[in-house]
Amino acid sequence: MKEVIIQGLRQAYSNLVHMFAEFLPRLLVMLVIVLVGLVVAYLLKTILRAVLHVTRLDRLSEEAGASRFLRMAALPSMTELLSRSLFWVTWCGFILIGISVLGVAGLQEQISRLFLLLPAIFVAILILFVGLVTANFLSRAALLAAVNAGYPSPKLLSWSIRFVIWALAVSMALEQVGVARQTVIAAFSIVFGAFMFGLAIAFGLGGKDLAREFLERNLGEKKREKYEEPQPL
Amino acid sequence: MAEESFLADDFIRQLMSVGEVDLLVGIPSYNNASTIAQTLHSVEESLRQNFVRERAVILNVDGGSGDETRQVFEQSSERREAGHKGLTSLRTIHRISCMYDRSPSQGVALRSIVAAADLLRARACAVISPATTNLTPAWIANLLRPVYREGLDFVAPLYVRSRFQGLLARDLLYPMSRAVFGQRIRELYSDEWGFSGRLASQCLEQDVWREEAVRTRPEAWMAVLAGSAGLKCGQYFLGPKTVSPSATGPDIVDAIRQTVGSFFWCMESNQPYWMGRSNSPAISTFGPEHELSADGIPPSQEKMFDLFRSGVNELEPILASILTPDTHAQIKAIALSDRAKFRFAAELWVKTLYEFAASYHHAVLNRDHLVQALVPLYRGRVYSFLLENANSSPETMEAQSEILCQEFERQKPYLLERWTGKN
Repeated sequence: MKEVIIQGLRQAYSNLVHMFAEFLPRLLVMLVIVLVGLVVAYLLKTILRAVLHVTRLDRLSEEAGASRFLRMAALPSMTELLSRSLFWVTWCGFILIGISVLGVAGLQEQISRLFLLLPAIFVAILILFVGLVTANFLSRAALLAAVNAGYPSPKLLSWSIRFVIWALAVSMALEQVGVARQTVIAAFSIVFGAFMFGLAIAFGLGGKDLAREFLERNLGEKKREKYEEPQPL
Repeated sequence: MAEESFLADDFIRQLMSVGEVDLLVGIPSYNNASTIAQTLHSVEESLRQNFVRERAVILNVDGGSGDETRQVFEQSSERREAGHKGLTSLRTIHRISCMYDRSPSQGVALRSIVAAADLLRARACAVISPATTNLTPAWIANLLRPVYREGLDFVAPLYVRSRFQGLLARDLLYPMSRAVFGQRIRELYSDEWGFSGRLASQCLEQDVWREEAVRTRPEAWMAVLAGSAGLKCGQYFLGPKTVSPSATGPDIVDAIRQTVGSFFWCMESNQPYWMGRSNSPAISTFGPEHELSADGIPPSQEKMFDLFRSGVNELEPILASILTPDTHAQIKAIALSDRAKFRFAAELWVKTLYEFAASYHHAVLNRDHLVQALVPLYRGRVYSFLLENANSSPETMEAQSEILCQEFERQKPYLLERWTGKN
């Protein structure tokens, strides 16, 4: 009995040593991959940052109004944000490769799935960024045009445009990542449809006088008295 | 000859058939069939009476008119004034018409005119608007003569103005251009002006023709270029001006986008020229330097103040990114004041404009948006001006205009400080 126990312990010890002997080189390989990944990611970040500085992305972002939102969200500048994103995406890729080298059963499949998601996540971030910039630009253009033309509720118009573009960008980004695809499409359709329906009701009922005035001004013979400003030039 | 490549082959062929000329009169047109014949006759009459020995060409550049403007120009018969016994031209006055594009653009039209002037080696040129309905032969002669005989390179017009018209030019463009560029050109933005062949050649060498500021309002850029190149500028008093009812001109928003946008762009692209200038010497002026007519009633002011107040309120975040906190606070304070006691002081107006110019330079937001954000503030300033001057005489208004010019010049160091400082 005692010998059987000792034999079992010896076997277990031998297995453990064998496992360690097999695992340690893999762990070392993983650490090397992670370290190389760190260096590569850092280099890519530095190169991208330099390129973006040359192309004056921060100025463009400032002009488009995206920087203001980044500041409000306590985020760094656009150049810094994109170069840091590249750093983390690259390094995470290397870490996942490193983990897959460990050969842990069951983890391989999950890692390869995650690995496949990385480019999609990067594209989704880009979509969100473009959506943010477009929403800011168009909503500000609408605000200025409405204020200068003396239209009522210019902020409402501006926020409506911003909201529609944001909703579109977020749903496109989620669609890209593949998160609950059906739900996202349905949610977007419902939100967008409800918004348009609400606008239609608001314009048709709440603003019927305004609608009548608009139609008369543009289609009818009765012209609205125009506000005349002194000739500027 | 440098820019002939962008000209159509047929246009070049017509120019080559004319040969070299002394004078060139350009008429940019777009749907001016009803007025262009009269314009053409005035130009021909002027050339016959005033430039008897000179070789001349009249060039119509059309922006794709849909009303047969070009046909009217080409088929309009030469008309000699009945009873005219004076000298008449000893040379043929050539006419050329071309379509530069299918959509109108003052900049593209001007580019065709200066390219033709360069190709034909014209010594003096004038640009004339067919929308001006009271154009007389004397106008053309007055724009060409200072260039052809006095050696000037840029001649701006001077018009008689009603007390309450042209406020953008009188309250912003003239005083600011005088302080910034040191050029006392009152009508920096006009539809008629004269220029030399030398200036035309210099314009052609510039790689700016695709810039929006040059495409929409090229005349101010041309004047600034002449000043920066050390060429001589002047202005000629032409008298009152009336335009065709179909050509009402841009509304206030478009006028500010075009003129102030172009002005700020000129500042941006000519920094070395204006940053070192500290004075504004008088330029050659033929006739009275200014003339305000006492006619005209103040326009409706109620809506103007409402638009100013709502603009300051609705655009608060945008204005906060353009103006300094102190200036922004002052504007918000006056927006809250009683409309009868409202005053937009000259000092605050100048400071506001200089901060807008500096923010344009630092590109704190999209530049077209930045210029549009100025519209409500301009309305506030005009409202204040109308309140103060409802019963003022033209002399008093001119005196106030001079005080405003001096305020712009006094605060120029502040502009330089904002311009060169980090935003």
